[in-house]
Amino acid sequence: MDLFLQLLSTGIMLGGIYALVALGWTLIYKCSGVLNLAMGELTLIGAYVCLQLYIWFVPLMGIITGFIVALLGTLMVGFALGILTNHFFLRKMIGEPVLSVIMVTVGISFFFRGIVFSIWGTDIRVFNPEIFDITPYKLGNLMISQVNLWAFLAAMLLLVVFVAFFKYTRWGLSMQACADDEMASLSLGVSAKFVYAIAWAIAFMAAGVGGTFLGNINGLNIQISHLGLIVLPAVVLGGLNSIPGAIVGGIVIGVLQNLADGYISQFTPGGVKEVAPFVFMVIFLLFKPFGFWGWERIERV
Amino acid sequence: MSYLPCGIYHQHYNEDHAWWQTRFVWGKMILLGIVLFILIPTFCGDYLLSIAYKIGYTILAALGVQLLIGYCGQITLGHAAFVAVGSYTSAMMILYIPWPQFLIDAGLVYPISLLAAGITAGLWSVLFGLPSARVKGFYLIMTTMAAQWITVPFIITQYVSRIGARGHYFSLPPGTISAGPWVIDTDRKIYYLMIVLVCLCFFGVANLLRSKVGRAWIAIRDNDIAAEALGVNIVWYKLVAFFVAGSIAGIAGAFWISALYFVSPEHFEFFYSLWWVGVILIGGAGSLHGVIFGSMFMVLVEEILRNGLVTLGALMPGFVLVGKFDYFRDSAFGLAIILFLIYQPKGLSYRYWQIKNYFNLWPFSY
Repeated sequence: MDLFLQLLSTGIMLGGIYALVALGWTLIYKCSGVLNLAMGELTLIGAYVCLQLYIWFVPLMGIITGFIVALLGTLMVGFALGILTNHFFLRKMIGEPVLSVIMVTVGISFFFRGIVFSIWGTDIRVFNPEIFDITPYKLGNLMISQVNLWAFLAAMLLLVVFVAFFKYTRWGLSMQACADDEMASLSLGVSAKFVYAIAWAIAFMAAGVGGTFLGNINGLNIQISHLGLIVLPAVVLGGLNSIPGAIVGGIVIGVLQNLADGYISQFTPGGVKEVAPFVFMVIFLLFKPFGFWGWERIERV
Repeated sequence: MSYLPCGIYHQHYNEDHAWWQTRFVWGKMILLGIVLFILIPTFCGDYLLSIAYKIGYTILAALGVQLLIGYCGQITLGHAAFVAVGSYTSAMMILYIPWPQFLIDAGLVYPISLLAAGITAGLWSVLFGLPSARVKGFYLIMTTMAAQWITVPFIITQYVSRIGARGHYFSLPPGTISAGPWVIDTDRKIYYLMIVLVCLCFFGVANLLRSKVGRAWIAIRDNDIAAEALGVNIVWYKLVAFFVAGSIAGIAGAFWISALYFVSPEHFEFFYSLWWVGVILIGGAGSLHGVIFGSMFMVLVEEILRNGLVTLGALMPGFVLVGKFDYFRDSAFGLAIILFLIYQPKGLSYRYWQIKNYFNLWPFSY
């Protein structure tokens, strides 16, 4: 039972990060209809940018302030990168077939990966000096590591901020309108180009923060981009175009991954953690092809 | 659509169905055959031949992708998994089955394993094509991606690679790979094996595409609901497409061990699945010529980049990109795909068609 609770709590915390990244993915899909396979690289680039800023800022301001400033810097860089990516690559693909758009995002992922690794190399990098203490908090028999807890809290904070942004601000409302019915929102004076740009910017920002915390947990290397790919099962689980679905899907995938790792991996040579979300997703798709909250599209000839 | 020159009239259906309908085309094809089978192997050095069979391998692997994406409309991002299955099947059969001596003497072990690799990979591909009965579009992409993640990093790396406590590599002792009386041991023989396999696979696929099966695939690609309404059994034909594509992938994988003499999971990473989709998009989806053009373009550009960087490294030792070829190649590949999709969405084969058309109608292009 202790093991189960332990795995569950770790899973929920990890899932919080996945939920944040999945939110970015769903946003792009909802607003612009782009199925984005570059999510792994968005997390990767955000994580490395944050690492670099951290290395620059820590000698100036100390660990905690340095990290917060680096995180804010990552958000700004992510915003800029998102708008640039949309402007140079995605905007020209409006109205093209689905496969072409998907492959453009694949192209983007290779492009960014190449750039990241030629700048920072492929060796594993860690945030040094460490931001979070390694001694875990204790809650009865439960051990909660500080990194996980803070990452979860930060992810939740950002999720709340983003959801509030959609609900209460002008930009957010225009994004909702565009996601709901693009043609109608265009005729009411919402700029679709602007909405696409903001969607990409938010995706970059969310992925960057997610990547930073994943990097804090495991260290930074190509593995981060694989973890970024795990958001794909998460969004499939929740249904592609549902923001609550993305959040729940992220947490469910995080929990499942940890449970599989805890219970199954002792019977196998290894690698369960990476595969479990995908296996689960395939089985799930056979029974519920549109996820929990996805729209079931009715097609006509 | 090809045009017949004026003055040629067909009197029988088999003339209409012929692949090569005029003398000129016959001459062109014979010339191509001479170049491929005689001139290139005689006059090219080992390095050029190795590039040639790399192109051939890319063609074989991308052919299945083209079949699935370009002709059947089933987007796959996990083809490297099926190539890997073919490769490992072939290698394991050669190494672990106690073959009777007369088969070894006749050199039939490798050809049999090649066929078996095709069948195994085809069945494996059907297994992951099964969800296509229920889902399509992005969800199907996810299941094929799952095929990649389940097969290569998990089953092959964690289980298959550990058979016989080998660690990471399966190396094949020299002399074990022989097709009939020929032991495949030089670049020239690998080239010949490649060209024979490529021709056979092309022949098979091109003929399938103009049969009932191929027409059903094209109908499914264009509109699956309409195809179903017209009485095409779409689940069956989708699975057939997955089987054929997987089989060709398996053959490609089994061929590749003859060129490498070893297999390791590194050759079948997710990157390659995407690379082959990139190949057919650059070549042009929905065109068999596109596979050839795309493969030549990608492999040649890769080699040119590699050589360019090596020369650059010799000239300027401190240059940033020297020694980072892999990353540079990734970036260049990504950029190439993006630029092709933005500026030349129909791919190289469309360009080829335009050039051919220009000369067909020359000098009066109206």
